[in-house]
Amino acid sequence: MPNRTGRRGDHEPELITKQTHPISPGLLGIFWAASAVAGAACDKNNDIAAVTYTCGTSGVASDPTLIGAGVMADCGDVDMQLPPEPMLPATPTDPACIIKANQVTDETTWIPDETNVIADTTRLNTALAACPVVKVQADGTNNSLVVAHVILTSATLWIDGGVTLYASRDPSLYQSTGNCGVLGVNDSAACNDFITVNGASPAIVGDGIIDGQGGEPLVGHDYSWWQMSDALQNIDGSIGNPTLINLKTGVTGFLLYKITLHNSPKFHVKITSTPAGGAFAADGTDNCTAAGVGFTVWGITILTPSRWLNSQGLLMSPHFSRNTDGVDPGETSVATCGVIAHNTISTGDDHIALKGGHWVSGVLIAHNHFGTGHGMSIGSETYGAFTTLDGKVHYGVENVTVCDLTIDADSRPVGQGASSGDFNGIRVKSDSSRGGMVNNINFRNICMRDVNNAILMSTAYNPLFAGTMYPMFKTMLFQNIHDVTCMNVVAPVVTLNGFSPALPAGPITLDDVVVDNIGPAAVESAFANLVLGPGNVNFAGFIPTANDATVSNKITDDTSPTGCDFPALPAPQPPPGWLR
Amino acid sequence: MTTSTENPPVPRGLASLLLVGLLGACTTTPLAPNGTCVEDLTVQATCGATIDGGTPASLGLTGYSCTGTARPDDHPSYVQGVPQGMICADQATPDGGTSGGSGYCCTTPTTPCAYNPVAICGAGTYGYQCQGSIRPESFNVELTCEQGVPDNGLIDYCCSGTGLTAGCQEKDTLASCVAGLTGWLCPTGVLPRGEDLGANKSRADNYFLLCPVPTASLQTGYDTFCCYPPATTPPNSTCIQDTTVPGCAPGRFGFACYGDDKPEQSYLPMTCPDPGVPGTSYQGYPATLYCCDFMAG
Repeated sequence: MPNRTGRRGDHEPELITKQTHPISPGLLGIFWAASAVAGAACDKNNDIAAVTYTCGTSGVASDPTLIGAGVMADCGDVDMQLPPEPMLPATPTDPACIIKANQVTDETTWIPDETNVIADTTRLNTALAACPVVKVQADGTNNSLVVAHVILTSATLWIDGGVTLYASRDPSLYQSTGNCGVLGVNDSAACNDFITVNGASPAIVGDGIIDGQGGEPLVGHDYSWWQMSDALQNIDGSIGNPTLINLKTGVTGFLLYKITLHNSPKFHVKITSTPAGGAFAADGTDNCTAAGVGFTVWGITILTPSRWLNSQGLLMSPHFSRNTDGVDPGETSVATCGVIAHNTISTGDDHIALKGGHWVSGVLIAHNHFGTGHGMSIGSETYGAFTTLDGKVHYGVENVTVCDLTIDADSRPVGQGASSGDFNGIRVKSDSSRGGMVNNINFRNICMRDVNNAILMSTAYNPLFAGTMYPMFKTMLFQNIHDVTCMNVVAPVVTLNGFSPALPAGPITLDDVVVDNIGPAAVESAFANLVLGPGNVNFAGFIPTANDATVSNKITDDTSPTGCDFPALPAPQPPPGWLR
Repeated sequence: MTTSTENPPVPRGLASLLLVGLLGACTTTPLAPNGTCVEDLTVQATCGATIDGGTPASLGLTGYSCTGTARPDDHPSYVQGVPQGMICADQATPDGGTSGGSGYCCTTPTTPCAYNPVAICGAGTYGYQCQGSIRPESFNVELTCEQGVPDNGLIDYCCSGTGLTAGCQEKDTLASCVAGLTGWLCPTGVLPRGEDLGANKSRADNYFLLCPVPTASLQTGYDTFCCYPPATTPPNSTCIQDTTVPGCAPGRFGFACYGDDKPEQSYLPMTCPDPGVPGTSYQGYPATLYCCDFMAG
């Protein structure tokens, strides 16, 4: 079914309120399905002015000029910098480097058996210590393996297609501080990772699946990792659940390719990785000789939760899978010279979050499709100051381009209990407890559907946080951004805030930024220097200036919002007999 | 829009009182201001900052000098429940000796914050109540504020124009702390606060800490604590941390309960072997006092 927003004519956009009954975000998926059946009611109709009401997903014959259609030319100069697609390695010839699955799981198997976890973990870790490439593959009908706390150092872990590598649900196998698996303890270091990555050119590749089993009950307990995390939600606490894939300081040239990740207990991928020899050599030579030399995340799929129900019949939802960020460069230490391309991410927290607690620089994020989640984010840590070998100090998050991205809040059913934060768009967030420099950030060619926070640039994303590390948001570009409405009845919000008159954000350029159904009260701006144009900014007249926001309006073209194309994204299969 | 001026808020129920009490922004009976304020160019010269290290600028601040206990911001209004008023930072330097009073650098009276004369804040700090996601420091760069405390849709802050008291240092290596408790080293008289946990603990610095009666450190002028970050505080709990419970030895957890509930009902790892004793909380209210122990899981 086509799903496009065409370029509008000369008409002013009108508020689309075709639904007569309020619909909670949690029910969006159901209505999405209904709309998909209804079909043409949601299609573009050239006879109606200002059509911004678009449902369904794209067909095969996408209009290549639309954002999301996957045409490489979409990103122009960015595509010129992207490396070629990585390749899978050759299959190891040494039998010791082949790890065979030893049990069968399918749609009727809720959770795999844990009997051989310790032996299987030893088997896998021994192979990874000895082999440059370890391939986990099926053995007849056996398609699954359960292990815990894998150590990957300067090697490639290859999960073959049709195989699932499960993370054990036994917290004792991840124990770090004594609090791993202990309910109600706010200890973010409680557990070791599922996969700890070290060394030079480590890689995790393949068409298989890594499943963290975050929603399943832990061994010896009647609660899951996610229930542990939810128990700390009232205090915004940080549970110490295992990270699915965590890169340790000193990693260079990390590759994550094709793999599918499900149900991480906490963050899915925490990246700290640079080019070999560090970001800069002692003589000042930039070691980022090509994009992606520092790290590459290419063609992966993150779908969390991957099921509607867990083995106990408990409804799984993105909101339930708290703190399950997708890909977080800079979370542990420096991340530079990276490429994150051609990925699909739908999860319970930030899709991507560039964490500037150390230094993140030189990252290209291109041709990605997001479903539900907390957004394409920068922060909240932006306070980093890192000295490279040449003696220069670098700060926070800088030199990042995001291009050709779709964020589709209607991509999956979300169940009851979904919160507003599960439908975020673009976010640059920090606060005075962890603020610092964010500079030279480009958001280009981005389409969003039914998100609540279309653009959030906040220096106090949680105003409760205190401190004197004030955010300093500098040059940013928002270009060819279009947030369309299918059936969301919550008016989208745009926030453009710097920190204070002494630390204003800017210059912030908005060029061809159209947020459908936005109203005057839905735009907040303070302590920011905004430059609008030359493309239309349909909320230009709504930007408040009372709190030291300045607007330089250079709009010369108010006719053509960017067209969008939303591809179908992976979504959990509902149980038999369920209506979506 | 109808504009109405109301008095500053009074305590909004016991739960609110207790919550803010835990974080140091409680309320008490206000004293009527005694004195007056006038604009003062001498004070004005001390207001503002440099922009990105460049030219000094007042950044919209106006200098005032006040006599007695008067403050320029002590007449805030609430417009349909939304606070509105000046935000003023007290200045360390006197106002030039013309009045013998105090100097303040103040914003315009249109911020969404109201000076809260009934807030109980720590020494050298004073309260504001604000609406929205912008902290008081953003409106007034001369100000520094502590962790915010939600209060019925608004946020309470304790702030200072002369800097906050030096905080505590987390000491993971404090040997005397059992598993589940976090070690702290604090200047004498200072309790660990949520913000002392530091910026590197993503999403983890918004919770409060329950701390025991302090233990004197070998380092002169400092105390040590083994504190517990509780998972949640039940909204109907009336028990608050109280490190001044008489007879509660260092290292044990003191509580003051205003209702019939007991500390172990709200804080599961706590065990209180002795019955509660009628007394007065550190806030000065009648309460039942308990001395409890943390039971390691």
